[in-house]
Amino acid sequence: MGYPHPPHPKETVVLSQYFGDPEARTYEGWKKRGGYTALEQALSMAPGEIIEIVKESGLRGRGGAGFPTGLKWSFMPKEKTKPHYLCCNADESEPGTFKDREIMRWTPHALIEGCAIAQYAIQAEVTYIYIRGEFTEPLAIMQQALEEAYRHGILGKDAMGKKGLRLDMYIHRGAGAYICGEETALMNSIEGRRGNPRIKPPFPAAYGVFGMPTTINNVETLAAVPHIINRGAAWYKSLSLSSPKSTGTKLFSVCGHVRKPGNYEVTMGFPLGELIYDLCGGMREGRKLKACIPGGSSVPILNREETESCLLDYEGCIEKGTMLGSGGVIVFDDSADMVYQIMRLARFYAHESCAQCTQCREGTAWTVRILQRILAGEGEMKDLDLLLELAEQMTGKTICVLSDSCAAPVVSGIKKFRDEFEAYIKGARRPVTALA
Amino acid sequence: MPTVTVNGKRVNAPEGATILEAARLAGIEIPTLCWYPKLPVVGNCRICVVSVEGQPKLLPACATKVSDGMTIATESEEAVEARREVLRLLLERYPADHLRNGGRAQPRNEFERYVVQYGVEPTPVAERDLSLREGDERPGDPMIRHDMSLCILCTRCVRACEDIQVVGVLDVAYRGEHAQIIVGNDGDPDKAACTWCGECVRVCPTGAIFEVLPRERFGEHPVRSDRVVRSVCPYCGVGCQVDLHVRDNEVVRVTSPDILLDTPNQGSTCVKGRFGYDFVQHRDRLTRPLIRKGWVKREGRWVWEGPTGELRRSGPWRTIAGEGVELKPPAPPRATGKRLRDLPLLERVTQDIRDRAATPAEWYEPFREATWEEALDLVASELARIHRERGPGAMAVFQSAKCSNEENYLLQRLFRARFGTNNVDHCTRLCHSTSVSAMQAALNTAAASGSMREIEEACDVIFIAGANTTETHPVFGAAIKRAHKRGAFLIVADPRKIELARRADIHLQMQPGTDVALFNAMLNHILACGLENQEFIAKRTKNFEAVRRAVQPYTPERAEAITGVPAALIREAAERYARGPNTTTLWAMGLTQHLTGHDMVTALLNLILATGMIGRWGAAMMPVRGQNNVQGASDMGAIPFVYPDYQPVSDPKIREKFARVWGVDPESMSLEPGLKVTEMAREDSPIRALYIMGENPIISDPDIAHAEAWFATLEFLAVQDLFLTETARYADVVLPGASFAEKTGTYVNTERRIQIAHKAIEPPGEARADWEIIVDLSNRLGLPTPFKSPEEVMEEIRKVAPAWAGVTYRRLEGAGLQYPVPTEDHPGTPFLFADRFPTEDGKATFHPVEYSDPAELPDEEYPFVMNTGRQLYHWHTGTMTRRSRGLDAREPLAVVEIHPEDAEELGVTEGDPVRITSRRGTIVTSVRISDRVARRQVFVPFHFREAAANLLTSPVLEPHAKMAELKVCAVRIEKVPVEAAV
Repeated sequence: MGYPHPPHPKETVVLSQYFGDPEARTYEGWKKRGGYTALEQALSMAPGEIIEIVKESGLRGRGGAGFPTGLKWSFMPKEKTKPHYLCCNADESEPGTFKDREIMRWTPHALIEGCAIAQYAIQAEVTYIYIRGEFTEPLAIMQQALEEAYRHGILGKDAMGKKGLRLDMYIHRGAGAYICGEETALMNSIEGRRGNPRIKPPFPAAYGVFGMPTTINNVETLAAVPHIINRGAAWYKSLSLSSPKSTGTKLFSVCGHVRKPGNYEVTMGFPLGELIYDLCGGMREGRKLKACIPGGSSVPILNREETESCLLDYEGCIEKGTMLGSGGVIVFDDSADMVYQIMRLARFYAHESCAQCTQCREGTAWTVRILQRILAGEGEMKDLDLLLELAEQMTGKTICVLSDSCAAPVVSGIKKFRDEFEAYIKGARRPVTALA
Repeated sequence: MPTVTVNGKRVNAPEGATILEAARLAGIEIPTLCWYPKLPVVGNCRICVVSVEGQPKLLPACATKVSDGMTIATESEEAVEARREVLRLLLERYPADHLRNGGRAQPRNEFERYVVQYGVEPTPVAERDLSLREGDERPGDPMIRHDMSLCILCTRCVRACEDIQVVGVLDVAYRGEHAQIIVGNDGDPDKAACTWCGECVRVCPTGAIFEVLPRERFGEHPVRSDRVVRSVCPYCGVGCQVDLHVRDNEVVRVTSPDILLDTPNQGSTCVKGRFGYDFVQHRDRLTRPLIRKGWVKREGRWVWEGPTGELRRSGPWRTIAGEGVELKPPAPPRATGKRLRDLPLLERVTQDIRDRAATPAEWYEPFREATWEEALDLVASELARIHRERGPGAMAVFQSAKCSNEENYLLQRLFRARFGTNNVDHCTRLCHSTSVSAMQAALNTAAASGSMREIEEACDVIFIAGANTTETHPVFGAAIKRAHKRGAFLIVADPRKIELARRADIHLQMQPGTDVALFNAMLNHILACGLENQEFIAKRTKNFEAVRRAVQPYTPERAEAITGVPAALIREAAERYARGPNTTTLWAMGLTQHLTGHDMVTALLNLILATGMIGRWGAAMMPVRGQNNVQGASDMGAIPFVYPDYQPVSDPKIREKFARVWGVDPESMSLEPGLKVTEMAREDSPIRALYIMGENPIISDPDIAHAEAWFATLEFLAVQDLFLTETARYADVVLPGASFAEKTGTYVNTERRIQIAHKAIEPPGEARADWEIIVDLSNRLGLPTPFKSPEEVMEEIRKVAPAWAGVTYRRLEGAGLQYPVPTEDHPGTPFLFADRFPTEDGKATFHPVEYSDPAELPDEEYPFVMNTGRQLYHWHTGTMTRRSRGLDAREPLAVVEIHPEDAEELGVTEGDPVRITSRRGTIVTSVRISDRVARRQVFVPFHFREAAANLLTSPVLEPHAKMAELKVCAVRIEKVPVEAAV
């Protein structure tokens, strides 16, 4: 549902069905809406069965990478020799993305239920829900819901009335670092260390939080799990408009130059053009679409033609040279200064670099400086080559993909909007000196 | 074993090896910056990336494990390009203007060498987009400072601090381009518990973290040395190997040798080893022999024409007791902050601390400079005269745990062979003599059974009794902390809450001197639970039943009443100890320096034997030796009852053997064990002539006031030392010896490792290597001593010491040898007693021991228990460390550690002067408030002449080894009004 807008007929409302419905936040309200039946059912199955169902459903990670969820769960050791952990990544910090926030705000019990099922499936004793520090309202709501869940015996000792089953869930609040949304940095942060991504391998399923086997899933991914259990893998799998490898529904957070920004839930493979023009009401009066970032700030920018022909699933985006990412759709109309926008993006990454890897620490900062120089009218043509050279070194060379994320908009921006860069360099545009 | 191909070469790499390790096996170097041996791999500098066939991305060689069949190209075009780019990015923040043009011929550090190697040209600083990096500068620090513009954020320093030294002073703060290395939270290393070990200096690849000393003295840049000489640290018994960097006959810097070598320290040092070397070049060094004015040679005979009686050995100084009661000047100001500009201007001025802790000029007044000929002639003729007139019993020698094996061997040889006396001893008397006596009785051994490395590698439970390892043996202490971090269970028995006690899983904080009750109770509980090792007891020991009976009454509850340690804790510790599976037992002065020291060690040995925690890799018995060569000096026979290698003096056959090698008549050598140090310096002592090599008993002996008076009554006193020490000022002749850096010799560390230290520089002035002095003196006295080098001395030692028979100088190069080394092809012995003990029947003997109170318990008049010991920054009587600028700046003042609540009751605060009085004497010192000490206990370090702890200690002697009870004496503490003149 395009909260805060009424649902559009083209939407497929699953996760967002109760957005805007305060009663759904409470335990009783959630029970009334069919809550915790999936968990009940899941607990009657063997953990392996649940993993099979999720595998079969085709559910893929909604945090950005799109890794098949069931497969990820199956990497956890079958023979339990050490404690297992589940981490729920609720550190939603990707610029342009605000879907997890709404899930937690309106349907906290959906997340708890999803976590509990996943936790049971991977035989973890504890779930850590790592919530972005700035999410004060979702945090309060989640805490309230968690207390309710414990109070009603959903969690804790003998969870759901099952003798000997213990499900524990803790909320860990982030402290304002974007990088802690990276799964290994998140685990370091939970452990009380500096939030630096770790080298992989070892992967979390072998050596995760506190060095124990760990699975880490996005909020939206986990919130989809109860629906899959309730309605079956086949139903979920059938939700696909284009590539059969992308199934289910996806929340898209649309922001920028559209009439009706908000969260929209559509079936995988939905056309991006329709999302922007129909669901979001199109551009403002007298404006034309110029560019779009379809998957949160770290994916390559699309120009108008690409945007209008892009299908919103993992494969459709790759076809256009970008990625589905987290589903944060940022729309630019023809009033946007792309050089400035790209500098803003780069500056975000430079600010958020954990500073471990050389290319990221120095590369992001240098990229920003060069872009600022260009904006100030002090750029040279060779600066564009320098930017591309830097971007090349920032791609695929570091521990995590933060520097890749910084490079992506720069590379696609120079490729697709080179005239705007050159205009600054040649003095054809008024320099921007106040770089707020 | 995976086989991989690196640059076309096939290599068999061990399982789990990284690409980097595999490449090194193939002799192929891959550049690294953040990678460093022994540090956790973080793989973040990205310079070591390589191409691997079939992999879309470049992979970090340091963090990628090889798999079978991998084909690796370390210098692929892509990899080299990425590497160059990493260097270029780092250079954009680095002050690299000197690396343009001509400067490239002389890269200054590891990082710059790569820059030159890969042909990366820096942008001129003025033309850059990015600014130089910042970070905490440690301004005003006496030893370590930072120039963070040179930092490349490889974070080696952070990991070295956290993971090797287990301290955690340094960290990375902020993000992105603002990331920087910080010191604690506020730039104050003190608050961050820095120990100035300099591990960060060692690992820094750019010199962003550097030692102050070599720059300050010689200018802005680090000093380039002419050559590097391998030596052994002159401080504690860990025996760290160090590299002395020499320029113009001065040691300008100390570094630790390659971490990958099998040395005891594996590349680490502590603050003393790395920064405490400047005493060697201190202006107080004696450069010519000194003769007390009053000695004149008339008609070929030396005669004393100076004053007699009390004035015979007097001088223009206050006695130690006199100095002790004086009010002390305050400590010099200390400066900390994050940046130099944060400091008040006044504090930026570096004080020359040499003026504070130096030998007072007037101490030289009673002496005149002399030639070696005169000085040695006087010593030889006086020693010979007194020997002739008063017999062997009047002769004595204090040898030195700071001198080499060869020197100690030669000196006892001289006294035993030429003067027929066994009055030969050294500071082991006040060190591990009780351990030796107890170990001799139980196992017929006198050294540690295992190696320090066992603790880190193989032991499951570490039991430490009375050893403040992190301060007194810091490099070993760090290894213990690493072992604990990796999961070993740590039990500490110590009346003080020392660092290890704070980290320990169990801290048994007993009342001082109650260890026997504690250990007996542990054994009692182990037997009650049936956790003893019955097989070991049956096969390897005897007399167990006596001990079983003896510990019966020592229930944990009874022990609780005596020791103050809760019975439940004693039980838990006992069970953990016995369950092991591999338990290592360490102890040091906290046990030995007691009236019942021998019993305490015996009780501990009973515990070891009953649980069989000895003779396996990981189950070691380790008395942690204090001095760098206290083990060696003992091995060389610097003890009154044994010849070298612990061969008893009372055995005529052994006497015969030594007499033959030394070329003297066996009958001229004594079969009687000699007097011990603590028996000599007493009013009723028969000693008339005393020769001291490198010891300073007037600070280190108990009840100094008496000792000082006794030294003044000697007929003849010769002292061989580096400085005019508190003891040397009473001498007739002072012979200037050589420091560790100025001579070649071998030293034995606490794990029986014989190591060689090479001569790096010439002694100052006319000072001579100590072995040369003794050879000269021996020959003058008519004892054939034909040695031309220390190596020749070792050749004789090999002949007489069976455990050393396989030791040659050539074999000692590298990591040295752990004796016993019975033959030249024997590899040395990392641990002993795998299947038998060196007793006649191969069995160890249990000896039951009973608890008895310390000699002095607190009472109404003297309500506090005083404990003495060492600090991290100082060494024993301070002759070396107090002349070392960095070390003395860290601990410039004599202090007493008092519990906060006691301080409150006394109405004193940090830094206030207090008067401490025991039944023997009084000192005035300043208060340090610390909850390391328990209530009603105080700790006084014994390094300080101006407030010598040993003025207060009791001269009561332990019956077996004649050890003094230095750890317990009753004192009274009073506040001294600041304005009051004393």
